[in-house]
Amino acid sequence: MDAWWQCEIPYPFVPQEVLDAADSVRASLPNRYCDPKIAADLFAEVIDEFLLCDELGMNVIAIEHHAGINSLIGANPMLVGILARQTRKVRLLSLGTLISLRRDPVRIAEEYATADVISRGRLEIGFVKSGGSEMASANANPVGNVERYWEAIDLVRKALSSHDGPFSWEGKHFTHRHVNIWPRPWQQPHPRMWSATGDPETAAEVGRRGMVQVLVLRGPEGTKRAYAAHRKARAEAGLPKVTTDNFAYAALVYVGDTDEEGLRVGSKLLWFLNTSLKSAPQYAKFLPGAVPPQLAPQVYRTTLRAEPPPLAGAEKGVAPASVNAARLISINPEQAMAQGILFAGNPDSVYRQVMEFYDKVGGFGHLSLVGRSGFMTHAESEKGIRLFTKEVLPRLREIKPVTVE
Amino acid sequence: MSSAEVDRLTVAGIELETLRRGQGATLLLLHGFETISPEARFLERLARRFAILAPSSPGFGNTARPEDVSEVYDLVRLYLELLEGLPDDRVSVVGFSFGGWLAAEMAVACCHRIRKLVLVDPLGIKVSDRETADILDIFNTHPRDVAPRRWRAPERWAPDFNAMSDDAIVRYARGREALSVYGWHPYMHNPALKRWLARIKVPTLVLWGAEDGIVSPSYGRAYSALIPGARFTAIENAGHHPEIEQPDAFVDHVLAFLET
Repeated sequence: MDAWWQCEIPYPFVPQEVLDAADSVRASLPNRYCDPKIAADLFAEVIDEFLLCDELGMNVIAIEHHAGINSLIGANPMLVGILARQTRKVRLLSLGTLISLRRDPVRIAEEYATADVISRGRLEIGFVKSGGSEMASANANPVGNVERYWEAIDLVRKALSSHDGPFSWEGKHFTHRHVNIWPRPWQQPHPRMWSATGDPETAAEVGRRGMVQVLVLRGPEGTKRAYAAHRKARAEAGLPKVTTDNFAYAALVYVGDTDEEGLRVGSKLLWFLNTSLKSAPQYAKFLPGAVPPQLAPQVYRTTLRAEPPPLAGAEKGVAPASVNAARLISINPEQAMAQGILFAGNPDSVYRQVMEFYDKVGGFGHLSLVGRSGFMTHAESEKGIRLFTKEVLPRLREIKPVTVE
Repeated sequence: MSSAEVDRLTVAGIELETLRRGQGATLLLLHGFETISPEARFLERLARRFAILAPSSPGFGNTARPEDVSEVYDLVRLYLELLEGLPDDRVSVVGFSFGGWLAAEMAVACCHRIRKLVLVDPLGIKVSDRETADILDIFNTHPRDVAPRRWRAPERWAPDFNAMSDDAIVRYARGREALSVYGWHPYMHNPALKRWLARIKVPTLVLWGAEDGIVSPSYGRAYSALIPGARFTAIENAGHHPEIEQPDAFVDHVLAFLET
């Protein structure tokens, strides 16, 4: 098993009364609350943490979120460019520039090819469907997002792997008459591709395309179901079986010297759920296309006439992101650990928690650590990275890819 | 909608849920953010004088949206085609809000089958400078803040999902999704339309809720001034939907205009 470290570079230093009064801590919170000097310090600290991972042999992930306290990485390609040069050893996953928000996938392919060349073939390319407040921030139509997502991926892939001069693309959502990117990517035919998704329909498509599928904070049932949908779709399409190397799971992870320290510091990661998910209804449940209209009655009403869909319902396409978010906002450390959302404790405990989850979901080849969030300090973050890479990662590396029936 | 008065009308291969009521000359109603309620008082009054034809645009109400119907101009062509299929030589068209944009675009494209045009708080043009939005962003604004801009009496008229039937909420959600398809970008307007409104060659009445906070009466006056000979009339004590908040005043204006 491989491990990947990520930090969304959240900005928690907004007065609580401002956050409490705001409808949303994303998209609409005025950026006067973001002090650029503090932001610069955060970037410096977190980039150093990425470089520490490089030194200690843990791969890194750069994510993207827009206009909110949850993340300062609105411009993923810039961070990827920095990491492509400043790291020297580990693999670098962009997860990812939010492709369905951007108007020109060819430019994205150009950015990725450049980062792949600068890093001499260490880039991996992840795609995220995006949603909610990101649509407002990017002026992107929320309806048709998934269609744009797949078409953009098709165009990026073709731009990266075509080497015989300009080709033309006249698709439903994107047109580009003269595609011929320089440089071409270092890795042939293109860097490995990942997709962060959980619903079975998308999971099936990820499977047919042979991408690495990453589930983020999804818990055992949803994760297992998504992996299964991935495998089933491949089997139905007559495609070869894949190993656990095609599957990844992202959780909040912190390793301390003791269980007490691991849990105490690791619990700070819950800020991401408890505080940074707050989103106004127009970016969530009332976002056009956020839920199929036939599900709108149970989502729009504030007085529920029936039991709300369970958390795991998201995998059936039932519970919308806004319902899941509402549940995650109020989660506590014990619940988060029970649901496989938080792995925290001493090295032995964290290893055991990861492997228990591994067994529950049928195995995965990549663990993504959401390793710093909220008010966790730089020192705490670095300590967690050192302990994880020294005490846990070698044991995870022993887990080799296997085919799961 | 009750099934008794709801028809299916097939135009250009698209089956439209269509509300029909009354007898007389045909009057085509093009709905706004939501389809027209069969219970609306203005509808009942208009139906005493006209044969009302009120289709639900693709994606709204109970009309399916074919995948390749995704632009306002698909709707414009659809309704021009609908007019050409009617037995009437010419038909008066009333367009509300988003439907007012459609009606204006139709009249710009071709007035041959249009008798008279009534635009009720229409969207569709850009009037102010680049940093002043003319049309309230109903998608990115909190519903709590949209309601008082849309209605003079939001407590009476704004949707109350807790009280609405499942069917009504599904219709509402479908409409919102369709509206996003057609109107997300550029937001609810065609940057080129202003230039071409002068092509409208039929008598036009522009009605406006005096307290409309979605598109202001001054926007309405500018709109009206771009249409040769158009008359602008504000309706007091109404927001974006004078036909709903002041149905009698609304119908009085419409009848006075259409029947002369």
